[in-house]
Amino acid sequence: MGFAHVIRQLVSDRSALLGLVLVLLVVLAALLAPLISTHPEAVWDMSPANRLKPPSREWLLGTDRMGADIYSRVIYGARITLIIAFVAVGAALLIGVPIGLWAGWHEFWVGEALMRVSDVFLAVPQIVLAIAIAQTLGPSIENVILALSITYWPWFARLVYAEVRSLKHETFIEAAIALGVPKRRIVVQHVLPNVLSPIIVRTSIGMGFTILTAAALGFLGLGAPPPAPEWGRMISESREFLPEAWWYALAPGLAIFAVVMGFNLLGDGLRDVLDPRLRRAHDR
Amino acid sequence: MLSRWCSRPGPWCSRPGQLSRRAVLPFFSLLALAAGLGLAPAGAAAQARFVFANESDYDTVDPHASFDVGRVAVRLNLYDGLMRWQDNPARLEPWIAESHSISSDGKTYTFKMRKGVKFHDGSEVKAADVVYSLERILALGKGAAALFKSMIEPGKAKAIDENTVAFELSKPSAIFLSIVPEIHIVNAALVKKNEVNGDWGAAWLSKNDAGSGAYKLKQFDPAIGFVGERFAAHFKGWGAKYLDEIEFRAVKDTNTRVLGLMKGDFNGIGGYLQTDQLKRIEASGNAKVLDAESMRVMMMQFNTTRAPLNDVDVRRALNYVFDYDGFNKNILGGLVERNPTPLPNTIWGNPKDVTGYSFDLDKAKAELAKAASKIDRPLEIHFLTGFAQSEQAAQLFQNGLQKIGVQSKVIGTPWPTIVERFSKPETTPDISVYWISTYYADPHNWIGEMFHSSGAGTFKNAHHYKNPKVDALLDKAVQTTDQAARAKLYEEATRLVVADAPGLWIYNTKWYGPYSKKLQGIVFCPIGNAQEMRTAYYE
Amino acid sequence: MRILALIGKRLLWFVPTAAGLIAVVFFISRVIPADPAALLAGETASREAIEALRVKLGLDRPLLVQLLDYYRQLLKGDLGTSLFTTRPVAEDLLARLPATIELTLAAMLMAIAVGIPLGVVSATRRNSLLDHGVRIATVAGLAMASFWLALVLQLVFAMDLGWLPLQGRIAGFPPPAVTGFMTLDALIAGRFDRFASAIAHLLLPAMTLAVPALATVVRFTRAGVLDTLEKPFVTYQDAIGIPRALIVWKYVLRNALTSTITQIGLLFGILLAGAVVIETVFQWPGIGTYAFEAILQSDYAAVMGFTVYAGGIFMIANLLVDIAHASIDPRGGHA
Repeated sequence: MGFAHVIRQLVSDRSALLGLVLVLLVVLAALLAPLISTHPEAVWDMSPANRLKPPSREWLLGTDRMGADIYSRVIYGARITLIIAFVAVGAALLIGVPIGLWAGWHEFWVGEALMRVSDVFLAVPQIVLAIAIAQTLGPSIENVILALSITYWPWFARLVYAEVRSLKHETFIEAAIALGVPKRRIVVQHVLPNVLSPIIVRTSIGMGFTILTAAALGFLGLGAPPPAPEWGRMISESREFLPEAWWYALAPGLAIFAVVMGFNLLGDGLRDVLDPRLRRAHDR
Repeated sequence: MLSRWCSRPGPWCSRPGQLSRRAVLPFFSLLALAAGLGLAPAGAAAQARFVFANESDYDTVDPHASFDVGRVAVRLNLYDGLMRWQDNPARLEPWIAESHSISSDGKTYTFKMRKGVKFHDGSEVKAADVVYSLERILALGKGAAALFKSMIEPGKAKAIDENTVAFELSKPSAIFLSIVPEIHIVNAALVKKNEVNGDWGAAWLSKNDAGSGAYKLKQFDPAIGFVGERFAAHFKGWGAKYLDEIEFRAVKDTNTRVLGLMKGDFNGIGGYLQTDQLKRIEASGNAKVLDAESMRVMMMQFNTTRAPLNDVDVRRALNYVFDYDGFNKNILGGLVERNPTPLPNTIWGNPKDVTGYSFDLDKAKAELAKAASKIDRPLEIHFLTGFAQSEQAAQLFQNGLQKIGVQSKVIGTPWPTIVERFSKPETTPDISVYWISTYYADPHNWIGEMFHSSGAGTFKNAHHYKNPKVDALLDKAVQTTDQAARAKLYEEATRLVVADAPGLWIYNTKWYGPYSKKLQGIVFCPIGNAQEMRTAYYE
Repeated sequence: MRILALIGKRLLWFVPTAAGLIAVVFFISRVIPADPAALLAGETASREAIEALRVKLGLDRPLLVQLLDYYRQLLKGDLGTSLFTTRPVAEDLLARLPATIELTLAAMLMAIAVGIPLGVVSATRRNSLLDHGVRIATVAGLAMASFWLALVLQLVFAMDLGWLPLQGRIAGFPPPAVTGFMTLDALIAGRFDRFASAIAHLLLPAMTLAVPALATVVRFTRAGVLDTLEKPFVTYQDAIGIPRALIVWKYVLRNALTSTITQIGLLFGILLAGAVVIETVFQWPGIGTYAFEAILQSDYAAVMGFTVYAGGIFMIANLLVDIAHASIDPRGGHA
């Protein structure tokens, strides 16, 4: 199944296409932030005199409590959100996938022990441990990423472990072993490609999930510190000014909604294309 | 409605606030009848009830366990002291004491007490109760204990006779009288009866009342708040109109408090509100906003022990960087007044001619150019987690710093954590943004505790500032009894401190009290934040 | 027998997993830079007093010794004393657990009561306008930040319309605690005004919490019904003239709910996790707000107690799901 084929399939599925478009829009907004924002200085500069202005031609989505333009801040906020999501999920992949592969293939006690460690992490809701870690380390983007990757790798480890365990007893793998193909080559050439699909699907869903958790950390005051335009914290700031400043939470909330929805739709679409086995069980 | 109806035990109610099972059936028929006739149950309107929504918890009702504004309602309404701070500007008034005298060496304070003052259980308030109360404060070591410990040792309070009590201080102190109101008198016999393993009744008193105050504790739940009912025999007597019952409830969210007041669920609310919220309250027609000059200074404290903030030119530069008007007038909507020194504008001892620093980036750059040390690292600005105002001030300051090319990090730190960090110069943040409120109305509460080198590391002193001249002035001031002479000393100390810029002073709070329209007789005092309800009533 | 073996195997893993969890949380919470002793001693305490208290609390000993001590305490059912409330953590959590369970159950009830019928209708009218609407709504429900949804609901129902209270669990003092569930206690006390107040306070947080759960229930019910509708027995029943409605709501639904039921078990755990954030927004006095405040106050005994609790409930929920799955679906092992 080639890359072009996957894309073609995705584009033909309307909801997956919508997901793809939403994700691309947010990525573009993040990349082109300096060009499309109307007040690029709003990321750090404040003008108390313009505090809490409603949406207008000057401030498309109104201003916040420090007199900064919310539209520009939301655009720049996309950078923070995407960096957190990509790095955290990427790190979780880099930790989780090798551990899952290794433990699933070798069935050695160290691998088993690592899987038990991942069980420990899966035994508590992610947000609970993430809050504890983020609070311990202090609020910063790096620490949010650390907290999220530490708590998310077990998902990948578990997934890959289960896939590898069942693959090991498939005929073609057993045949390869019997033929004396080096184990490393079997794992890289035969096992990995076969677990790739569920990993990709899980990654897309995980992006959405991670963005929500990161936003929740920001909302609780454990995310990127001010003046970083972090969406969760913008929503938390707005609480004090409701109902007068109704516009304050609107844009960051919709931004989170759009990007998470994008990744979820894309994930669903990818599952349909890459993993038809799962399709029936979940949705159509 | 029902709770009022059932507020006293009787044939209908097995316990206050709870219907007995026997009462349920007839109650329904009555309710149906009342509903049918369009009548409210009789007797409901007779009681004047006041509900206050407070911004913080009432985790204890032990008067010796707290020394903060958040829980002041417990101390002022359920308990009495020998003296009490009243009115605005705050005056120290004799309360359970009739008079007092100070020995010529300034070390012995003798109080003559009123006779016939009754505790809530009917027994009389005696000198021995005062002695026990001070011993209890010193033994428990909470609330105002640290202040008392710096002046008096255990066993140095004595009952001369039934109604005379004397305190022998370790050294003369001009501020002892100012904190005498914090010796809230507990019923010694009652507390002793409830002592467990020599805990000074701590477990029991955290949930029960042993006071003589204008209201006695009726109900308490640490998760909700407390209810007090009028103590008719209170020694101060009552006016023609009064509140029969007062309820203080913790409601942490500002919006809930504001909406509740506008709907009439609450009759008074606490906390410092935003301009828009005050406007909304005044427009509602249901409520009004009282205001008064107060004494609570918002400031930034610099850690003066570390480079670059050990350099006076850098500190002065920082003082020119904060947009005072932008903060006070725009962000806070002009609810506060610029306060250029560490002392509140409204207290004696404050040099009126000192105008302090202004927002001027050019001057800031000039000062920075003069400075011997260069700022070669990001400064850490810590604000108090959960206090939006301190966060906004930190952000605005960061913004100003960035404009003169100084990098900084804004970090939220919870109150207990930051207080712990203050204890050592190495862990004290570069810059901490918070307030110093009125714990007692004396300049020592601010400049004395904030800048004397012996106080370094306490919650009031994150400067770790050491200036022998200032120390000498403050030492002299605390041992002088004449107020005019003390005022001079504090003025001089304040001038020195402002010139040395170990901090940055932003505003003095004005107090805004949102209340139900019909409520009258609220008396504001900076120490009690108008939460003493003895004089309040409905029109 | 298979089920018993499964339970046995799961229980066997329960202990080391729980022990590992406690160790992880213990080390995380003990690195928090604030000093619990300073907090307990009070804001005006001297440095010497703080040191003395640190020794008294055993905070000066090596971490490993403290961890072993903690295990020993746990075996006695003692979760330590909260530094902030100065009460036993087990007692605090027990006092606050009913609030969280009441909220979670209410949310679950909403999700099931609305989700299952919606899923069935959506499946039977596949690709209709309604079906598309429901599918979009479920995807949206899973993509919304719960705290943002909470704000929107507060803005509309509490601030603008003024129909429901903004926060809290009941107005004023609660009825005498019997079950700990505010609604039930109000009824037991015969206080219908308090009951109404409790319900009104429950609605918004439960709604917020229910939305993602609702989306999941709808998705699984819909998929289950679609699968079952293709089975031969449906075609047969259709052919012999059993009314379509009866087929769908009785026979098909019963068959289709297998996967939904296991999902509901899992949901309970997920809802408990969601409660941490939602409770904070609504100032709901459950274990979620307790945990959040404990973290802010560096109250490590309370943080650990909460995590042990949450982990325990989560693990038990998973165990029950496995058992339910195994007994409903005798064909295969657990997923």
